Amino acid sequence: MQRTVIKRDGSQEKFETQKIINAIFEILVGLEIEDNYEIVFRIMKELDLKVPELVKTEELDQLLLKAIEQLIPQHPMFDTLATRQLLKQINKKIDRQLVSFTEYLDHAINEKLVKEELLEFDLDILQSAMDYGRDELFGYFGLTTLRDRYLMKDRSQNIIEKPQWFFMRVAMGIGNTNEEVVKVYNKLSQLEYMHSTPTLFNSGTPMSQYSSCYVSVVDDSLDSIMAKATETAFLAKHAGGVGTDVSRVRATGSLINSLNAKSSGVIPFIKVFDTLVNSIQQGGRRRSSQVISIQPWHLDIEAFLDLKETTGNAYFRTPSLNTKLWTPDEIMRRIEHKEDVYLFDPGECPELVEAIGADFTEKYNQRIKEAEAGKIQQFKKIEGETFYKKYLFKLAKTGHPWLIFKDEHNRKNPCPDYSVINSSNLCTEISIPNRPDSTAVCTLASLNLSKHVKSDGSDFDWDKIQDTLETMVLALDNILDKNFYPSEEAKRNTMDLRPLGIGLMGFAEALVDLKISYDSEEAVIAARKLGQFMRKTCYAKSEELAQERGAFNHYKEAKYDYSPRRNAVLLAIAPTATISIISGTTSSIDSYFSNLYSRDTLSGKHIVINSQLIFDLEEKGLWDDRMATLIKQHSGSVQLIDEFEGKIDKEIYKTAYEIHPNRQVDIAAAFQESIDQAVSKSLYIDEQLRGDMPEIYLYAWKKKLKSTYYCFIDKVVKGEKYTSKVNKRGSRSGFGGGSEKEETSKVSVDESETTAESISSTPTSVRRGFGQPAATETAESQEALILEARAKFGDERVEEVLAAGEDACPTDPLLRKICPSCE
Amino acid sequence: MKQLIGKTSVRDNIELSETPSYPIFRELYEKQKKAIWFPEELNIQQDALDYHALSPDEKDLFDTAVGYFCSSELLVQNVLVNSFFPMLSDPHAKMSFSTQLFMENIHSDFFEIVLQSFNMDREKMYKVAFDDPILKKKMDLIVEEIDNISYGKIDPDTLQGRKDVLRAILINNIIMEGIFFYSSFAHFFALKDMGKMRNVVSGVELILIDESLHLQNGIEAILIMLEETPEIVDDAQFVREIREVILKGTYLEIEYVQHKFDNKTILGISSSELERYLKYITDRRLEELGFTPEFNITENPLRFLQKEDVKKLINFFEVSSTEYTNY
Repeated sequence: MQRTVIKRDGSQEKFETQKIINAIFEILVGLEIEDNYEIVFRIMKELDLKVPELVKTEELDQLLLKAIEQLIPQHPMFDTLATRQLLKQINKKIDRQLVSFTEYLDHAINEKLVKEELLEFDLDILQSAMDYGRDELFGYFGLTTLRDRYLMKDRSQNIIEKPQWFFMRVAMGIGNTNEEVVKVYNKLSQLEYMHSTPTLFNSGTPMSQYSSCYVSVVDDSLDSIMAKATETAFLAKHAGGVGTDVSRVRATGSLINSLNAKSSGVIPFIKVFDTLVNSIQQGGRRRSSQVISIQPWHLDIEAFLDLKETTGNAYFRTPSLNTKLWTPDEIMRRIEHKEDVYLFDPGECPELVEAIGADFTEKYNQRIKEAEAGKIQQFKKIEGETFYKKYLFKLAKTGHPWLIFKDEHNRKNPCPDYSVINSSNLCTEISIPNRPDSTAVCTLASLNLSKHVKSDGSDFDWDKIQDTLETMVLALDNILDKNFYPSEEAKRNTMDLRPLGIGLMGFAEALVDLKISYDSEEAVIAARKLGQFMRKTCYAKSEELAQERGAFNHYKEAKYDYSPRRNAVLLAIAPTATISIISGTTSSIDSYFSNLYSRDTLSGKHIVINSQLIFDLEEKGLWDDRMATLIKQHSGSVQLIDEFEGKIDKEIYKTAYEIHPNRQVDIAAAFQESIDQAVSKSLYIDEQLRGDMPEIYLYAWKKKLKSTYYCFIDKVVKGEKYTSKVNKRGSRSGFGGGSEKEETSKVSVDESETTAESISSTPTSVRRGFGQPAATETAESQEALILEARAKFGDERVEEVLAAGEDACPTDPLLRKICPSCE
Repeated sequence: MKQLIGKTSVRDNIELSETPSYPIFRELYEKQKKAIWFPEELNIQQDALDYHALSPDEKDLFDTAVGYFCSSELLVQNVLVNSFFPMLSDPHAKMSFSTQLFMENIHSDFFEIVLQSFNMDREKMYKVAFDDPILKKKMDLIVEEIDNISYGKIDPDTLQGRKDVLRAILINNIIMEGIFFYSSFAHFFALKDMGKMRNVVSGVELILIDESLHLQNGIEAILIMLEETPEIVDDAQFVREIREVILKGTYLEIEYVQHKFDNKTILGISSSELERYLKYITDRRLEELGFTPEFNITENPLRFLQKEDVKKLINFFEVSSTEYTNY
């Protein structure tokens, strides 16, 4: 096929393979690769099929990137190459418009995308601190995510930020001095820690909204409900996730005094929030989100459990909201002991809402007595076990509501005089006292543990962890004073308490580096030790800051017996969904999801491979395309692959569903011992353990978790595999075409999910085939040869050979193979 | 001996057995039951901005694929109900196939919501499969063949009748659901791969799961019929024709993608890649039925489809999840 390239200026030229080959060699520079030529050949083979007859220059760049991207599951090296190619494209585009960091700043300030104050820093110092070599630290998925959503675009929607400029802009929006800026820049650009998404989006911009989460409380009045709706709208607009507790709102049938009429309950009001959030989420870079929490003794609880169902009355369904249960110990205790649970109307029993611990138990039992004595207008009694089973069924089916423990949150409240803790945030890691007039705000950042392991793999690098944590405390505390607060209530809470949320990610990756299995007691010990260290270090730094900058305001008013510190709370382990992708590590304290899996995000679908496993296998000489296929067929698990037996330590490569949920709880619990806010922990439950969910969640409660998060259950029915061989026929002969050949070709590659064994009748006679001769095989390899020859000798020479008559036979063996007359 | 296909009366087959004659259909029924989903689970409106930002080529590709599915999902129902279902003699097989019918409803419902969400021209969409000259050829292959076969003339107790039923089920479950649909699936998945129309494509991912079960329904029915009536395979002419009609379907589909993609790439894929992909899928279908492969393509050239094969982890805040199960 003759191909033509249309250049940027509209002129046309002949498509030349050699040019592309050169481009690939360019991105290969400096990599230690045994066989460069093999790599180029593989990429060219992918690309060849993609290039149409007429192709534009930019399109060609994009197709080359796609070709390399397709090979990523074969080897991490292709990930590096794809990253380099993408980087080249980003830089090329920006270079056409902006030649330097300062020019970018001027342009961005001009367009009112960056605050003018940033120019007050010493730009020479900052520029000399910038190290473009750090671009190499990104993985392809991370860089794609960065490009699609984080790198700043100007008003004409062109990307104007190179990755290092991006980190510097973020650092300039955080540091108070040149030194602080450089410090923060160095940490971020080496991916040692990462701020939360809103900070990365908005730092240094006129819309300086750095916070991730808000937790508000709705009072039992129409005024309050509508005020919170307004507040939610503004919080949501600025990309924050909102948690809202509705436990105070009276239940269906409750008497409204002013109207002398009965209330329609809390559910219709929740629907208002659903509609609101759905309307706001459509415009931004990331859709806003909200979680509604309620205490499980609320009389409307059964309708609440159904909110995330997809069928039924649409007015009682909230597809855009998340939900969770803010559960007192007394309810868990009743469930455990198979006692009854009583549901009340908070309009009638308002004292139950803020009561915690033993106080709640007492008040709750008092109300039960009254109920049994017929002195309560509205109540309902259900068997605790029935209620629990129903709840867990909804959790498994819809993923909601999540289970959060009210009393454990409150037992650790450092500022009980300020307020009780009224629920947690969207991702369940926040635990800050809040009230209807004081909306909790949390500003998050997470340490990347995988960058804090000693190079010999003997231990965590504690000194480096300390250094990073101290930087994080300083950076986050700075942010509180630069932050834009979308509501007065939010500002009040921050100024009173100055809460920070320091967490971590890359825990699982670091464990593999240390050769510790996630599914082991050692991992639990490591978690405990890390939690303690985080607490000690961050508190020391906060106390030091209190000396310089003063303690948080509420501390000065109340009498607490701990030493003054700058921040009421400092630690919270967030799920780190997107920032762990940017940092190229495992999320939060979760295990590897799988050794090979795909991930759906706003940037499309990405394949994620466990490169630690691949390097390990490669070292043992066990990695090749066949292994890649084998692992894919095992859905990313290595546990049942016999060939690895005794060669690698399979234990350390267990994936999420292969680790018992109780162990997952143990790890979270070990961190929770020292984390002053909460640990957001998703649980991954194998389909086979679905029946054990009641025990698993009781275990989580007993191990004193404050929060659980998503419950993932491995999906049972999957589609037909697209890219590996599937055998639905089993050993039956069907139309019987070419059966002899058939039998040998069905090796271990067959899918295990085949249903053949359930068919009892096996054909006794093997029928003669009607198969057609397989003809294309040779044409196939011919194409490959031509391609190889193009790569080696250039297009012109190959065309010459292909067109040649008998008299022009080449001498090179490769060329002879493709020469029509030599053939 | 009782056979899977035969003349039935409403009096027959109203009793389920604990030891079914065809355990596979009970199994497939169970699997389909677990796969049931509802279009409301997906926040399709979320893709409205995306939809309006698609390039003209991408939009055309998306629209046509949606239009094609709109009418095809209903066509599948027609074929099953008119030419096949009345002759099913096994209660478990009936349950499995009627679950398939129900699932096709869900798909129709889903595409109907897609049409409404993006304000697409409904009438045009439903007609697209018959107005586009090349798509029409694909539809004709199905419609004319089945009409010929099924217009109330099949006698399942004769060899010819059995052959006709087999051909009907093949055209429907293998060629239409197993080749034509798989071609359009790839177009949808290419969109999501580029981060576009994510929520609609989440629905298509669920449809893929369903369709692969339906495909299995069809393959099982055919293989069982071949075992029960070995004379079918003795007719070399008939066997050759079956192979030919499958390949005819493939070439029609190839003609279609060549026409659609012409000399350009859309979403980073080219017609030569798609052609190769279709040949790969066709080989798979041929082998599943016991034929030798035609093209001997051992690797799926659309490597991004690997992403459909492995476990999925979803950023819940960003994309509708397809990983929860209703059962």
